[in-house]
Amino acid sequence: MMHIPSLKYKTKKQPIAELKEASVYRIPLQSYRSTLLPLVKIGDQILQYQVLAEDVEHQFAAKIHSPVSGKVIAIDEHYISLENDFQQQKITTEIIEFQQLDLERFVQVLKDFGIAGIGGAEFPTNIKYKVEGSEIKSLLINGIECEPYLTSDYAVMRHETEKLLKTIAVLNQIFQPEEIVIGIEKQHKELKKHFEKSFKNYPNLAIRIHLLTNEYPQGGELQFIKSVTHKEIPKGSIPANFGYLVSNVGTILAIYEALFNGIPTTERVITISGNAVNSIGNYRVKIGTPIRHILEELNIDAEDVDIVLGGPMMGKEVADLDSPIKKGSGGLLLFKKQQKSIENCIECGYCVDVCPQHLMPMQFVKGHQEDQNLLSQFNLDHCIECGACEYICPSNLPLMQSIVLGKVELQKMRYAK
Amino acid sequence: MQNSRFSPFVSSKNSISKVMLDVIIALLSLCAFAFYTYRIWFLIVLGSALGGAILTEILFSGIFLKKWKGILDGSAIITVLLLVFTTSPLTPWYVAAFGGSCAVLFGKILWGGVGKNKFNPALVGREFMTVFFPLVMSSGDIWSTKRIRYVYEVEWFNFIPNAHWAEFLNELFFVPTGALGEYSAVCLLLGGIYLIFRRRISWHIPVFLLVSFLSFLWIFEDQNLNYSLGGILLGAIFMATDMPSSPSSPTGKSYYGLMIGLVAGLCIQFGAGFEYMSYSILILNGFSTKINQVFMPRTWGTKIDWPKKTEEVFLLTLSILTVTFAVLSLHYYGYIPYLIYVYIIYIIFKFNFSFSKKLHQPI
Repeated sequence: MMHIPSLKYKTKKQPIAELKEASVYRIPLQSYRSTLLPLVKIGDQILQYQVLAEDVEHQFAAKIHSPVSGKVIAIDEHYISLENDFQQQKITTEIIEFQQLDLERFVQVLKDFGIAGIGGAEFPTNIKYKVEGSEIKSLLINGIECEPYLTSDYAVMRHETEKLLKTIAVLNQIFQPEEIVIGIEKQHKELKKHFEKSFKNYPNLAIRIHLLTNEYPQGGELQFIKSVTHKEIPKGSIPANFGYLVSNVGTILAIYEALFNGIPTTERVITISGNAVNSIGNYRVKIGTPIRHILEELNIDAEDVDIVLGGPMMGKEVADLDSPIKKGSGGLLLFKKQQKSIENCIECGYCVDVCPQHLMPMQFVKGHQEDQNLLSQFNLDHCIECGACEYICPSNLPLMQSIVLGKVELQKMRYAK
Repeated sequence: MQNSRFSPFVSSKNSISKVMLDVIIALLSLCAFAFYTYRIWFLIVLGSALGGAILTEILFSGIFLKKWKGILDGSAIITVLLLVFTTSPLTPWYVAAFGGSCAVLFGKILWGGVGKNKFNPALVGREFMTVFFPLVMSSGDIWSTKRIRYVYEVEWFNFIPNAHWAEFLNELFFVPTGALGEYSAVCLLLGGIYLIFRRRISWHIPVFLLVSFLSFLWIFEDQNLNYSLGGILLGAIFMATDMPSSPSSPTGKSYYGLMIGLVAGLCIQFGAGFEYMSYSILILNGFSTKINQVFMPRTWGTKIDWPKKTEEVFLLTLSILTVTFAVLSLHYYGYIPYLIYVYIIYIIFKFNFSFSKKLHQPI
């Protein structure tokens, strides 16, 4: 693991600003490892917070709801396009009696309100929280936003503290963990005092703040669990089976909106930052807001820059300005274009030093290139694709490309057998 | 939609040239001491080796393989410096030029360029010099450098009242005997500390190498064992840590350092003469890939199969020792040249049928 310098110190001082509504929203249909099936047709009038699409077959992606009221104008395999009528006609939702909430009902609420892991992967929270049978020792709240440049989780912790604690109290009542830990990076240690002031109002919570190093990828679920509990759990296993329940602060905020306001996940906080933009800060945006709209509202010139949705380490390049903000997008980053020339690997071993999963990433480049046996021999399956190896590589080797494509090759090889 | 790039979208400001520059910086003080002691003699050896190396780079990397970019990355300079640091100031200029040229050609270019070499190029160059100029390289004359010395000793610490301490410190800073890079133990150590501090090498290889070598000497307490502290430090800090030819994981590096120390001890014990450091490092270079496999770091969340691992390490150690004694036997019967001839044929064939087709691949 290593520290990556960025502009966090600038954006963390910014409040959560609001953005004007867009006239068209594009609701993403791809989430986690599944594609949602549209429940509406072109021309349908829809209400705000109405369910638009659901993973009917697998139930392996969270439902998605309409952020505004208006009309469906287009549906393709990736998006449902909505025209905003600016009437804000809401669907009526029932009030949730969270005092009498049991696990089964709670999981149903999470499912109905489309709650998904907001840290990036969009794993459906209802599946994660379905922990019948396993006893929860620790409820771990992940406030480690290890991705450089992003401060959306910071902004949530700073400005929505009460909402987070109210939700945590409900979770405490449902799961009854032995302890609750909020993990925060040392660079944000001022949040510790900030939280502890509010802890006084919740005398029944066994809650504490745990400060962790400013290293990447400290916030990865496995790394976070180990740093707090010293328990190393293998990739692919379910933390709840070990007694740990981990949720991002942004996800907790989404649960708050569902429980206390009856609002499904239709907006989130994102950080706008990067070395090619001046109006940096944290913004509350609706899921489905086209990136073009954000850039226009903030007068950002996107000519000749690299636009990244999510963090700079694990985010995706934006090729189409009409593509939208998703539930897992923590940031919209603009970087000056830079030329990287690939040189020979000198086997410096820096990638081995920084790999959080203790792999030897350079072997995957060799494996992808010529000898596929290396991919399984050096445990490519255990890679969490954090990108630390490529960040540190002095030769700019295409490590992530080899890893992503290598995993596909590995699947194919297994399928062939 | 166009093909999108792969993450990450930020990168550290590392580059090969920066790595090389740090190694050169670490070697500068040694250059200063070599110049301080032998002035023009040092410059002649360095100049001709550098000339040979650069000419070879231009001819083969540039004109022949059309890869001009790599010539200035600094790797050739490091190779030449390290090569020169293992030779005598009395090395004839043509031998030095030949060494520099062979180090670059047979140590690096024919492997497919920087980073792809399996053996330390400087030591490869040195072996070529020994094999092709046996009379010059193994004569005792080449090491009788007293007559060309400009400085015989330093008296920097004579202000210390205790004469033993003063002498010890003086010699720690400067001893004018041996090869060109061995004169200042302190500067060698400082260079190593600089590289560790800059994370260009890790401490594992030098520390484990020194520990195992010195324990070997301690166990086989033999007064006739002839070694130089400077030579050992140069090997441990700068030669054995050559990135491409050494393993990448911390445990792999530790084992690698331990084994070099042991093999170097055996080489001294069984009469490899001045070649003990070159032999031990080159032998372990050959096992680097295997060490990477056996000493792969424990993957997160998995357990190590200890019986299997122990067996692998045992067999690996056995094969290293077998090769060591094979090399020592060849050395005893004077057959090392044939090993080099085989190497030449191997690397030319390998280049022709395999490496030349992968020049564009980064690994």
